[in-house]
Amino acid sequence: MISWIAPLQPLLLGLVLLWSARLKLLSPHAAAAAGRSALARLVGDERALPTYRLVGVVEAALGLVLLAPPTLPAEALAAAALSLGFTGYLVYARLAAPESSCGCLSATRTPVRWRSFARTGGLLAASLLALPATVGWFDVLRTRPLPAVALLLAEAALLVALSPELDRHWLDPLRQLKVQVTRPLPAGGFDVPLDSTVEQLHRSPVWRETAVLLTSDLREHWDDDGWRILVFTARHFGQEVSAVYAVPRLRYRPAAVRVVLIDEPTGRVVLSLESPPDSPEPDWVRPSPSPAAAAA
Amino acid sequence: MTETVDRRRLLTNAVVGSAALAGATALGSLAPEAAFAAGDQAIEPGAPDPNFAEGRITGISAGMLFVTGSDMALWRIRITGGTSIWKLRPTTFDQVAVGDGLYARGLRLPDGTLAADSVWVNIVNVHAHIAAIGRNLLHLDHKGKRIVGHLVPGTSAARYNNTPAVSDMSMLRVGKHVQVIGAWVPDTNEVEIATVYAAA
Repeated sequence: MISWIAPLQPLLLGLVLLWSARLKLLSPHAAAAAGRSALARLVGDERALPTYRLVGVVEAALGLVLLAPPTLPAEALAAAALSLGFTGYLVYARLAAPESSCGCLSATRTPVRWRSFARTGGLLAASLLALPATVGWFDVLRTRPLPAVALLLAEAALLVALSPELDRHWLDPLRQLKVQVTRPLPAGGFDVPLDSTVEQLHRSPVWRETAVLLTSDLREHWDDDGWRILVFTARHFGQEVSAVYAVPRLRYRPAAVRVVLIDEPTGRVVLSLESPPDSPEPDWVRPSPSPAAAAA
Repeated sequence: MTETVDRRRLLTNAVVGSAALAGATALGSLAPEAAFAAGDQAIEPGAPDPNFAEGRITGISAGMLFVTGSDMALWRIRITGGTSIWKLRPTTFDQVAVGDGLYARGLRLPDGTLAADSVWVNIVNVHAHIAAIGRNLLHLDHKGKRIVGHLVPGTSAARYNNTPAVSDMSMLRVGKHVQVIGAWVPDTNEVEIATVYAAA
């Protein structure tokens, strides 16, 4: 059993390391990823990028050596050592800079969580599994193609599942699909949210004239037929009064908004205001010579 | 209860019941003195605003909130009939509880109390990504930390692309960025959502 599993691990490890090195060496976002990672904290801001690139070079070199033909236990040991190093780095990141990004496989900002540890643990396990390998992965692929490919795919799927930076490629679409099937959010009825009424109020001519008098935020509101009544506190000539606005509830007509300022203890209205009615059409819409006159 | 209904009836009639008024200022004056009669208190640049308070409520007594600020300042905040109180929605004094957080704006009185004009209880403003969506739930990813947002039917509203708010939440998408205004549930990572701003 182990005789064919072990030689496959260097292939997996090599591919993962090359993928990881690709970000660190070739990606245009490498500098940003390095700056966000805990390396900036560990070695300083100026040395973060060179260190990041150096890690990439080590990963690329080890990845290529793992993929290249002679299968040596030393390669697997080196991969295990690198995985241990990564674990140490993750522990440091978690403790010293918990807000930093992992910077592991992608430039996407991904804080270090249990999945990052599980992934490094998986790589360490694969490295140890590769120790007894005596033949190359190419021979195994040739002699037992189906189980080999199945095992590699399963291991790759596990690593992808443990990579938070790849979530947006598979987890988010899956969750979106679930939302489309189960429709868990209210689609809303015909009731108008309070926010919508308040916004209509804010766009009304009456609000522009009276907002400066208000001292409080919205105090109270209720519906009355076609109106929604909004009550604020206002100050008018040094006197505290209630500003009662009536806003059309089911229509969007900011020009129809009205207000009274009322002294509630006495019930005396101190100001009543509504905007002048809209002119039905601007002047330039009217034809200047009337068509009937022109015909005659 | 009937008192409330009568009062509301009176106020409604005052604003919509009267005959339509023709002019712009049909009754009363809108002279600038109306707005600026009280006069503003000048605040030194860089000095803390004496008319603003924030903190957690440690005690409530008749018409008064005792608040400990995040800088350990102790506040006494007086709630009057003219004070607006927001806790997920415009609400009343009896809905405020010990342990709630608040922001308050008002006028500092000579006895050291703050006579509040407006109080916003537990209000939070969060920029986050939607990590998952459940039944009336938004799981939000806020800088790598999880926040659970509860949609409150009848209260929560969504604004898509800055158009007027609607109660239709079905255009929210997993993975998209949203801004949430809501009421924090004290000492948890949960908020009740008042308004969610999203791109559709």
